[in-house]
Amino acid sequence: MSRQQTQVKSTKLVSKVLVKNPMGLHTRPATAIVKLLQNCKSDVTFTYKKETVNAKSILSILMLAAKQNTRIMISVEGDDANEVMEKLEKLFDNEFGEPSK
Amino acid sequence: MTITTQEIRFRGTPICRGIAIGNLFFFDRKEREVSEVILSFEAVEEEITRFQQALNRSRQDINRLQKKLNDEGALEGAVILEAQLMMLEDPLITTHIEAIIRGTKRNAEFAFKAAIQKYQSKFDALSDPFFRDRFKDIQDISRRVMEYMNKGRAVSLDDVPSGSIVFASELTPSDMAEAESLSIGGFVTEMGGMTSHTAIVAIAKGIPYVANVSFDLLDLSQEYTVIIDGRRGEIILNPTTRTLGKYEKLKTQLQGELKVLEKMASLPAETYDGYRVRLSANIEMSQQLDLVHRYGAHGVGLFRSEYIFFPKNEIPSEEQQFQIYQQLIQKMKGLPLVVRAFDLGGDKSLPGYLPKEGNPFLGCRAIRFLLREKQILKTQLRAIIRAGIGAPVSVLFPMISTLAEFLEVKEIIREIERELGVRPEDSIRIGCMIEVPSAALIADHLAKECDFISIGTNDLVQYSLAVDRGNQVMANLYDPANPSILRLIKLITSEADQKHVHVSVCGEIAADPRFTALLLGLGVQELSVAPRYLPIVKQAIRNTSIVEAVDLAERALCSVNSHEVLELISNAYKDSVPEDNLYNC
Repeated sequence: MSRQQTQVKSTKLVSKVLVKNPMGLHTRPATAIVKLLQNCKSDVTFTYKKETVNAKSILSILMLAAKQNTRIMISVEGDDANEVMEKLEKLFDNEFGEPSK
Repeated sequence: MTITTQEIRFRGTPICRGIAIGNLFFFDRKEREVSEVILSFEAVEEEITRFQQALNRSRQDINRLQKKLNDEGALEGAVILEAQLMMLEDPLITTHIEAIIRGTKRNAEFAFKAAIQKYQSKFDALSDPFFRDRFKDIQDISRRVMEYMNKGRAVSLDDVPSGSIVFASELTPSDMAEAESLSIGGFVTEMGGMTSHTAIVAIAKGIPYVANVSFDLLDLSQEYTVIIDGRRGEIILNPTTRTLGKYEKLKTQLQGELKVLEKMASLPAETYDGYRVRLSANIEMSQQLDLVHRYGAHGVGLFRSEYIFFPKNEIPSEEQQFQIYQQLIQKMKGLPLVVRAFDLGGDKSLPGYLPKEGNPFLGCRAIRFLLREKQILKTQLRAIIRAGIGAPVSVLFPMISTLAEFLEVKEIIREIERELGVRPEDSIRIGCMIEVPSAALIADHLAKECDFISIGTNDLVQYSLAVDRGNQVMANLYDPANPSILRLIKLITSEADQKHVHVSVCGEIAADPRFTALLLGLGVQELSVAPRYLPIVKQAIRNTSIVEAVDLAERALCSVNSHEVLELISNAYKDSVPEDNLYNC
């Protein structure tokens, strides 16, 4: 996972993450992301293929149709930006713990 | 007005056994015309409130259903509904549409439908079919929301009259989740198959269900009396008085049988000439243990440990696993527990560890995966061994295909036990799952090294006959009654018997009472089944003798095709348990 962090003002973080899981950002990962961001104060967006969407919107994430090995640019802006960014990066890195049957 | 016509019979795919009789109710999903209404300034806020109410009611429904599925342990379905709940909170569905209503002054249905159609085209434009398919969930919820806005229509199965037989083009997981709390007699769908989620839920709940029935010749505006014979996959419309009488009698008999079976819980699983059989349960979670105790099972013959992932979405740490296994063991109340090590790969993918494979079923799965990811294996084994100290706990390894694999895993266990200071005489019992022909063929070598063997017939049939279970086209070829499978089972039991190693069968055939005598006769000592089937298998055991069983097995082994085998065992079952109307038909 490669990342670059830039801090703009004091509360905006930007980072690039790799989508590692074989099935990409489908329902399960999207659910996991939205769940994670449910109570966070910051505004979070994902940018993929020149499209920027609200990461708190599960439909928006699904419509990105980000497959395995694609890179997403995450932008977090707000009071809890650091915490949120860290959690998100970890989530992507752990491949959302894709479960099995 | 009911037009009396002659009795009509349809054939479909039997999904769940049982008899249902009732009035046909067509659960119509077709979208009604949505008219465009221009609102006055004052009406806008009211319209938004109406829209929000529809959303709220939909959320309540899904919430209730999700909890229900969770409680029932149907976690896969619960996850799908969780995603739907999130969609109902999605700004694109909530605030965005409210803004459209305010901005365009159009009615909620119109604004909502327009937005959904826009999202639909976005999804349709995606190149990947897998992602395109995700739109089905959005359709499911949009239907629900639309129905709530559109009063006077069957919003859910709640509105279906009690005892109805529901006909639908297809059913969604949330439909099935609702079914039990309502008195719906049965389901008939145009689409669907054995491996669909709806089928899985119907079978688990025991609701008679027949799929793949064409509705073309039906006039669905008519009133029909319907009989579903889920055993044969037959639907009868406008039954004659005679037919109706026959099936009503049958239905009453089945209900009576069920009651009798449940009473057998306290009786031993023993043939009538005194041969004791171990009748155990296959479980995925601890909630199922209530049934296990209630039906008097010997213990748990297969705990599918990968199911502990679901609540957490990632492999738990050693400590977390230790807690889970410990709780499970406590709930066992002293009964034996066999924990199968994580069975991953194949159709069960796992984050980043699995290489990209052209054919996952023939690739890095089960034991192969565990031996590649030794950290995961060791963590799990440590947790199991620690939790199992002093308790009748065994560990079982999936899909062993060579002796070397098994020896490797044995060595790892010995190493862990040394580290934990476990005395050699207290060493955990280690079992080997035979699901692959190569393992069956070296059963003698494996029996020398393991403490017990468990035959996974589902996969054994797949790998031996080289047919994919889920393949609809080749569905007929997937047949556990095939003589080749019987020979493999016989080979395994013969070799195991020589080394005094116990053999159990944990696949689907163990739960089919017609196969019970055959399996016992082939030398199988233990049958491990889904809890729901414990009573009926126990009945089959008690109604046969080991002498008959051995004789039956000998004759079956002489058969040249599955059809012969099935006929043989079906006739024998009819003789042994004539009172069972569920499997004798």
